[in-house]
Amino acid sequence: MKKIILLFVLFVSVECISQNKQILYNFTSVPQSLMTNPGSDVKYKWYFGIPLLSGISANVGSSGFSAYDLFANDGVDFNVKLRNVVFSTTRKDKATINEQIELFNGGFKVGDWQSNSYISFGMYQEFDFLSYMPKDLAILALDGNRDYLGKVFNLGDLNVKAEMLSVLHIGYHKNIKNNLIVGLRGKIYSSAFNATSTKNSGYIYTIPSTNGIYEQVISSNLELNTSGISKYIDEDYSGDVVRDIKQKVFFGGDLGLGFDAGLTYYPKKNIQFTASLVDVGFIRHTKDVETFTFKGYYKYDGINPKFTNGNAAGNVYQEFKDAIPLDTLYTKYTTWRPAKFNSSIQYSFDDSRSKDCNCDGTDSGYRNAVGAQLFIMSTPRTPFMAFTTYYRRNIFNNLQMKATYTLDSYSYKNIGLGLSAQLGKLNLYVLADNLLEYHDLAKANSLSFQFGLNVIFKDSDEPY
Amino acid sequence: MRPLVFHRILGILIPVLFFFSCTSDLDFNQVNDLKLEPVFVSNLAHFDVPANQFVTNGVEQVVTVDTPTIDIFNDAFFKDNLVRADFFFEINNTINRAYTLDLVYLDKNNQALYSTNFAIPAYTGVENLVTKTDVFANAKLDLLKRTTKIAFILKMLPGPILSESSTGSLKLRSGVTAYLVVE
Repeated sequence: MKKIILLFVLFVSVECISQNKQILYNFTSVPQSLMTNPGSDVKYKWYFGIPLLSGISANVGSSGFSAYDLFANDGVDFNVKLRNVVFSTTRKDKATINEQIELFNGGFKVGDWQSNSYISFGMYQEFDFLSYMPKDLAILALDGNRDYLGKVFNLGDLNVKAEMLSVLHIGYHKNIKNNLIVGLRGKIYSSAFNATSTKNSGYIYTIPSTNGIYEQVISSNLELNTSGISKYIDEDYSGDVVRDIKQKVFFGGDLGLGFDAGLTYYPKKNIQFTASLVDVGFIRHTKDVETFTFKGYYKYDGINPKFTNGNAAGNVYQEFKDAIPLDTLYTKYTTWRPAKFNSSIQYSFDDSRSKDCNCDGTDSGYRNAVGAQLFIMSTPRTPFMAFTTYYRRNIFNNLQMKATYTLDSYSYKNIGLGLSAQLGKLNLYVLADNLLEYHDLAKANSLSFQFGLNVIFKDSDEPY
Repeated sequence: MRPLVFHRILGILIPVLFFFSCTSDLDFNQVNDLKLEPVFVSNLAHFDVPANQFVTNGVEQVVTVDTPTIDIFNDAFFKDNLVRADFFFEINNTINRAYTLDLVYLDKNNQALYSTNFAIPAYTGVENLVTKTDVFANAKLDLLKRTTKIAFILKMLPGPILSESSTGSLKLRSGVTAYLVVE
């Protein structure tokens, strides 16, 4: 029991975000921007990422509280801080972590110099975690029900999922017109482990009564789907978790399919519109699946001695366990990947090119651009949304900068900065947001960080 | 020249980001200090025995017994974490006979561990509630944690003869307040 409570506290205390990559999106000097929009206006002859170093990203976010609120080394009793966090948050507050590491990544142009078709491919490993604040359950664990007669505790507050997977992908984008680029990416997912408990409902209440002392009802519809973890939660397990999971990440796990689609459109030379839909896909969990359910209805009146000979009152604890049994099922299940929608509109100005040659119809010749982006991601409850405005500048031919200001449910003062530098053939990029929080990372509600190294051979657009 | 400028900018920007980032002193080991102290209330037992149940074929049943299983305090979770339990009883007698109620707490070998007694006066036309709060803590709590059954022994004391048509009932309500400490 103590282990479960500890685990629960760890779960809610882990600080972490959505998968909004607002700096990377449409930052076309970085090939990885293709991962946020397969129809990005990215041009290359060929490129490859430095294996394991081409794309490392981590997002952490928590609305409602920060690591500092819970773990500050300030002499205040941890339990006091925990209470403050629980009572200052709502069931809508959430903690998320997303981490991605590219194992390999590359791309090449198809056909001759006149062609405008590009292939990109790669594989990355991803870890996702999302938990809403299980507020009512936390109150029950902290205070019990004595001071909450009449309150209906909502078991639906428990909403958590975690997953480790690897993704193998191949994408294709093409200028189908001078001013329109479309792209598509197919993905094969392999889930090393998954734990999903997002469709819970039910309630517990206690109210004063005239028959017994209380009227007490528990109606529970809780379900936890797991795949790939039964081995590790078994008490006899003595292997190496990290090694086992690493092996499964490489396509030993449950398989799934998905796709990304996107486009870039230039209604005018200096106006750009983009949109993408990423991770529309599912994973079918078939291997090592275990589903735990805690479902039923029980109205507890207490024991009722009948004083009629030979009819001893039943065992109410056993009755309860029979009414709401903890069942383990071994049925296959399907999870959907969190689908993401991105869109942007951009206005470019300060053309650095000569007036008579502007034949490629793209924005790459402009020194400056301003724009706005919208990000929407599906979550187990209402979709997560973020709105970003940005300024992009080519500082030199080989140094691009993008500064962003983002509004979302974690923060209304999220300023981010991205730099992409081309050192010969080597491309280096560093993107970080919530810069205002860097004076004290512990108090940040969300942070994201991405960096990587690529080797890019530029598309010359010339025959030789 | 350009790469130099460029290097300089990067060389300044990136360290600046990290130099100016710092983090307050965090101590994640505080999780070990976690101590939950919830207080739960719940029903314990109830009955409502009508007067005519004390009469079978015209003959009074003077002693009636029921021994329900109450093994929840035996559960490993309560054994580890329960630090105090208050049992509250309220008896409302509307039969014109006096009673005694003995509760005998039995272990799994049916050995008596603890008992408590209620004297219930006869009904005289006005409500007369008998209440008692029994606090289990320390050594007494250990007895409760070994309890698997409670024998409810109801004795009717001498008085006006009851018949199958006598009115009134003997009603008991009881609840428990459980104090837990989980660390």
